[in-house]
Order: sequence, then structure tokens, then C-alpha cells
Amino acid sequence: MGKHFKRIAYCLPAILLVIVAIHQIYLARAAFLSPWKGGGFGMFSSTELGAARTIRVFVSAPERSEELQIPDSLAEGAQKVAIFPSNSLLQHFAKQVVSRERRKDRPVEVVRVEVWRIRFDVRSLQPQPEKLCDYVYQVTKTGI
Amino acid sequence: MFTRLLRPASDPGFLDLVLRLTLLEILMRPMGFLAIRASLLLIAALGLLVPKVLRVPLTWLFLCALIAWQLIDAWPLPDNHIYLLCYWCLAIFLALLSIQTRQVLAQNSRFLLAFTFLFAVLWKGFLSPDYLDGRFFRVTLLQDERFAHTAMLFGGLTEAQLLENREYLFPLPEGAELLTPPRLVEPAALKHLAIIFTWTGLLLEIAIAAVLLLPLPDRLKIIRHLFLLGFCILAYAFAPVAGFGWLVLVLGLTQCAPNQRKLQISYVVIFMLVLLYSEIPWTEILWAIRA
Repeated sequence: MGKHFKRIAYCLPAILLVIVAIHQIYLARAAFLSPWKGGGFGMFSSTELGAARTIRVFVSAPERSEELQIPDSLAEGAQKVAIFPSNSLLQHFAKQVVSRERRKDRPVEVVRVEVWRIRFDVRSLQPQPEKLCDYVYQVTKTGI
Repeated sequence: MFTRLLRPASDPGFLDLVLRLTLLEILMRPMGFLAIRASLLLIAALGLLVPKVLRVPLTWLFLCALIAWQLIDAWPLPDNHIYLLCYWCLAIFLALLSIQTRQVLAQNSRFLLAFTFLFAVLWKGFLSPDYLDGRFFRVTLLQDERFAHTAMLFGGLTEAQLLENREYLFPLPEGAELLTPPRLVEPAALKHLAIIFTWTGLLLEIAIAAVLLLPLPDRLKIIRHLFLLGFCILAYAFAPVAGFGWLVLVLGLTQCAPNQRKLQISYVVIFMLVLLYSEIPWTEILWAIRA
């Protein structure tokens, strides 16, 4: 518990805060993380939360192509993807969709996830949807 | 080393109050899935009831680890104050291990608050494309259910206008068109309210970040407390995030000198006030009385 501990004790929490917040800014700029989330303290600064971030899920297979209504069991995964459409979260969510479809004995070969955000016009507040990403997940023959 | 983790800190004076209020915040806003939630609630309740548990560093290491687990497990969903709570529990753990408990806590609370407000200012003032022009509060006052009564009470909207505005803000599917599309009704009072919220929030946050970051002589440090208390009185009357408000107050309280009794009491009173704000929907009550 010498000098080193003293230094750590006095500044480690604040250093962690700054590192996480800078990383959050990077993810928000580079990978569409919502400003509200991720530990960067961007809450109450942007309209990009709740209804302004939405996703659409499409599944297709031979003789099937439809948009899915997101069920409660997938709501949390959908929310995560809407807030941060990273490849790993999108893939995890697509796999959840495939598992659910298979449990219901419905064929699925491709899952497509679209993530949208809504911008509002400066003067009229007219909503302007903007697609952030269009992710396609191909189901393998052997497994998910 | 392990015995040190279990040794309660020697009488940390009014800092007991800081630790208790932190545990109270955890109890009042439980988080996480079952295992995390149950563990947090149990530790917080034990800490409030048993002084030794309250002052043992290991208690705060556990709390920090559980909250960090929740942050990782639910990422990116947790709100920002959960991150701040995690850093704060780490700071308490380190402070209780240190022989300079009060100084370590005071320094950490100052910098945690300073950087929290600095990044909030950075987002509002520079990074967000729709804050400074007022769009954020114009949309939020109409769209966010938690601001509905504020918008009607101070913005001059009727319930029907609010609903029509929400329809207006909801985009139609591609190519769709309504026979009678909804109109946006924005009374002057509502526009003014959005401007007031936008600029009051930003200017207060700039002021708080500045007074916390700048080294101030002892006689001027009271300014930090006045800004923090003022911010909590104003912001949390409308902002539905009591958890953040309580944490800001706890961190502010930590920076009081041991002999500043009145200031310490002020923090506790405002802590209660934020509790009342969160549990009593005062704008809804005023709206009902007016109606």
C-alpha cells in the first residue's frame, strides 16, 4: 500500500470513466451507437432513442418471405440491436430469430435485419427515416 | 491482504451518511437479472442495517463487481448512471482501503462529477446534431410520455393536440400517404419551453463542469455546492431520472468539509426532494387541478 496504491486510489475511477466515455464517442461516431447509451453521458442530448431507433426483421425460405412482428421474447435483443447495430449483436439477434422460427416449425434460410433511425427536420420536425444498416444472415444447412 | 478487505474503516465520520445514501440509491433503483438484483439488494440492505458491513471494503468491491457484471451482461442497454455508480463503488472500495478515506473519496467524487458533466456538455454542445437547435426538447416534449404533462401544463397544448403531434412525428411506411395528414401544433409557449430547457440545461452543466475542474480557493468552493444543488432542484423536477440525481447529490455531499453541517443537511433534503419528484407526479396533479 505504498505510493502506487495512493495514485491508483486517487484517480482510477475517473480514468475508467474517461476511457469508457471516449470509447463511447468513438462507437457513436463510427458504428451508430445511440448517444444515450454506452457510458458516454450523452443522455438528453439527442432524439436518437426509443421510437427514433427501430428495427425491421424479414425472414425468407423457399415459398416464404415475410416481415416478422417482434415478439416479447426477442424484444430485448431487438432493443440492443436498435441501440447498437454491431455485427456481433446483429448476428446474435439473427440466431435468436432462427431458433424461434425453428421452435415454431417454420422454415427459415435467410434473416434480414434493417436498423433505422428517425431524424427530424429543423424547422417543421417532419420525421425523416434513415436506414443505418441492412444485415443479412444466411442460415447454414447443418445448424444455426 | 484479505484481512484488510474485511477490516472496517475506522470511523469515517459523516462519510457514513454518504455510504448509506449510496446503498439507499441501490435499494430504490434495483437493476439486473435475478442473481444480480438479489445480491445487490441483499448487500445494500445488510450495509444499511449493520455498520460493520457498511464500512468493510469487501462490501464495496462486491457491489462494484456486481454492477460491472450488469453493465457487461446488458450492454449496451444500461443507463449512464449505472456506469457512474460502478465507478463510485470502486472509489469507495479504494477509499476504505486507504488511510486517507475522506480525501480519496472527496477527490474521486469531484473528478467523477467533473468528467460526467464535461462529457454531457461535449455531447450537447458539440457532438449531437439536434440539441443546440432545440430539436431535442421540441421532439421530447411531444413524444416522451414522461414529459406529456409538462408539455400540456407549461406549453399550452391540449391532450388532443399532443396526440395529433405524436402522430405527426411518427413516420409513415415508405410510399404511404394519409388523406388528412396530422398537423404539427406548436404553441409559442411550447417553443419557449423547449428553448428554456435546452439552454438552462446546457449552461448549468457547463458551469458545473467548470467549477469542478478549476482549482478553487477554499472560500469559493461553496460555488460548486450551490451549482450542484441548484441543478438537482431544477433538473430533476422535470427529468425522470432520479437515480442519476441521487448519485450526483451523494457525490456532491462527499465534497463537503466535516464541519459544513448545514451544507450536508441541504444535500440530504434535496435527496428527499428528488425522491418526492420521482414518486409524486406533480405536473400531472397540477394538470388535473387545472382541468
